[in-house]
Amino acid sequence: MKKMKQTTLRRFISLGLLLVLIILFAILGGGLFFNADNFIEIVRDASVVGIVGVGVTMAIITAGIDLSTGSVMALVAMTMANIYAYTLWPIPVMIILGILVGIAAGLCNGYIIGYLHVPEFIGTLATMGIFRSLTYIIAITDDNGVIQSQPMTVYGFASLGYAAGYFYLVTIAMIVFIIVGQIVLKFTRFGTNVYAVGANKKAARLSGIKVEKTQLIVYGISGFCCAVGGIFTAARLQSATAAIGDGFEFDPIAAAVVGGVALSGGSGDVVGTLIGALFMATLKNGVLKLNMNTAYQYVIKGVIIILVVMFDSAYKAHMDRLAKERGAKEGAEE
Amino acid sequence: MSGEKKTFSVSKYSKLIILAVFILALSILRPKAFLTVGNISNVLWSVSVIGIMVSGTIYVFLLGGIDLSIETLCGLTAVVIVEVVTHMGNSVGGVIVGILAALGVGALAGLLHGFVITKFKVPAFLVTFATQSVFLGLSMIITNNKIVSCTKPKLFTMIGSTWVSIILMVIIAAFSWFLLSRTVFGRRTYAVGGNATAAEISGINVAKNTILCYVISGLTTAIGGIVLASMTQQAMASTGSGYTNDVITAGVIGGVSLLGGQGTVQGAIFGAVLMGLLNNGLNLMSVPSTQAGLVKGIVIIVAVAFDAMQHADQSRKKVRKVVKKA
Repeated sequence: MKKMKQTTLRRFISLGLLLVLIILFAILGGGLFFNADNFIEIVRDASVVGIVGVGVTMAIITAGIDLSTGSVMALVAMTMANIYAYTLWPIPVMIILGILVGIAAGLCNGYIIGYLHVPEFIGTLATMGIFRSLTYIIAITDDNGVIQSQPMTVYGFASLGYAAGYFYLVTIAMIVFIIVGQIVLKFTRFGTNVYAVGANKKAARLSGIKVEKTQLIVYGISGFCCAVGGIFTAARLQSATAAIGDGFEFDPIAAAVVGGVALSGGSGDVVGTLIGALFMATLKNGVLKLNMNTAYQYVIKGVIIILVVMFDSAYKAHMDRLAKERGAKEGAEE
Repeated sequence: MSGEKKTFSVSKYSKLIILAVFILALSILRPKAFLTVGNISNVLWSVSVIGIMVSGTIYVFLLGGIDLSIETLCGLTAVVIVEVVTHMGNSVGGVIVGILAALGVGALAGLLHGFVITKFKVPAFLVTFATQSVFLGLSMIITNNKIVSCTKPKLFTMIGSTWVSIILMVIIAAFSWFLLSRTVFGRRTYAVGGNATAAEISGINVAKNTILCYVISGLTTAIGGIVLASMTQQAMASTGSGYTNDVITAGVIGGVSLLGGQGTVQGAIFGAVLMGLLNNGLNLMSVPSTQAGLVKGIVIIVAVAFDAMQHADQSRKKVRKVVKKA
């Protein structure tokens, strides 16, 4: 019961952070920031982070991390660009192949982490470089070998970047991802396994959970989410460049941290990450609308992550102490 | 014990063989380009920067930690020294103040990392991941997204000349070797990296030791930044980009376990030399730097997977021994 309260409180804190940021920018930016169109824009910005964040959240819940998300997005986009440029295959085939590449990349991560026992942040740091290099190797070049961006303007693909009614398609996809992600985590056996692996690997293994397999699937899902994120990014840009998603890996992790997904594993959910994604998008948008140097964004992002993580740690220590004291008191009363 | 010694000398031997094969391969594949004075000094440059940085970050690796902020901290310190020197009229005094300022920034960064990691029990990769963004932003703000350059005075440009930087690397590596293998602090670092709980119980101040290790890492990263700024006679936010991977790869090739507790400075320097040759080789084979990450990434994964396998083997052997005794 107490545990329940604690997570609810944490949810309020992340919502509070988001609210404070919105109010701050509304005061500083006025109507320029605070209008309906801009909020739709913010949600659109948050959507790709939210989609990719579903996979990253699962990885973090298993006490892991995925640093390769931006590179996988680029690899997927560039695979599709190659198919687009050199074949006449229909768009759905191109998209499916792109998704398969993303899943394969994710499974690579999962294999390296689960079966080769490479620590998550080192393994995905290495694959971040590997996938980015692969992207550059298959990048579209002109006759002189200079890397170019490949325009992908055919309606069947570019329409993925459009809006349906008030919301962009990417936002609708994000909502679907968040709902499905939340259901998978909370109401399926696989979801329970994910939490169990993150809370205590040894205990999970001893109670019969296939830890390696769970990790493999989690990173595969993360690869799938990255693929979808990459597809929507390319559709929005109506082109694919090798630099897509450069530095992107920061945002889903930051979103998860702000949303209360514990890096020690075993707790958190994708709804929290969604709030975090909205927070990051609001920050980016506000800095832009206030005409500040984009460099401030990097500083603020980093500082916020450190502060939130420090707060989480101090808060957890405090709650543990309270629980211990209560236990001692009850023991004394008995 | 004697068996352990024997395997150690064999592995040392194998490193020299790898190095020889590498140099031989490069001299055969690209004889005209590789064996020139200009190219050799290029290799030495690259080796010296990586060597300087890995001599300090090895302390973090030994703790089982990591520093993902190497490249942006390197950029920030490079920017700081160039800005200070130019603002102080390119004087010799400016260079000294600039060096002190850059070292101060590095030490402060390390202090911050160490403090947050020990006091709040936050994983090292997350803290350094976050500060990486902060440092990048700070250098962009300081330089206003531009390249700042500085070609005077002579003292400044001298630091990054081939021989000075190599000597600097040798001195720093020697000092780091001494600190690690001949002092109580070094012994404690191995102990904390091997098993932090056991170290704490046996009376080692783990928090203090950890913070010191991160400060050392910050200092050597700053020196790397100073040397880079002086070599290229300019600095920008992206100075040092790619060095995080290079330094980690150098450590891993040199037998430093990223799981903590194992590794030597000699090994790390060997890794730096191999990294320098690898970078140069890829360059001579006209592999663009954007594609070099493929090779480095695979090297990291293979080395760490091998390391993890050995760890698992060792613990299995230990269990077997205990079972046998019982």
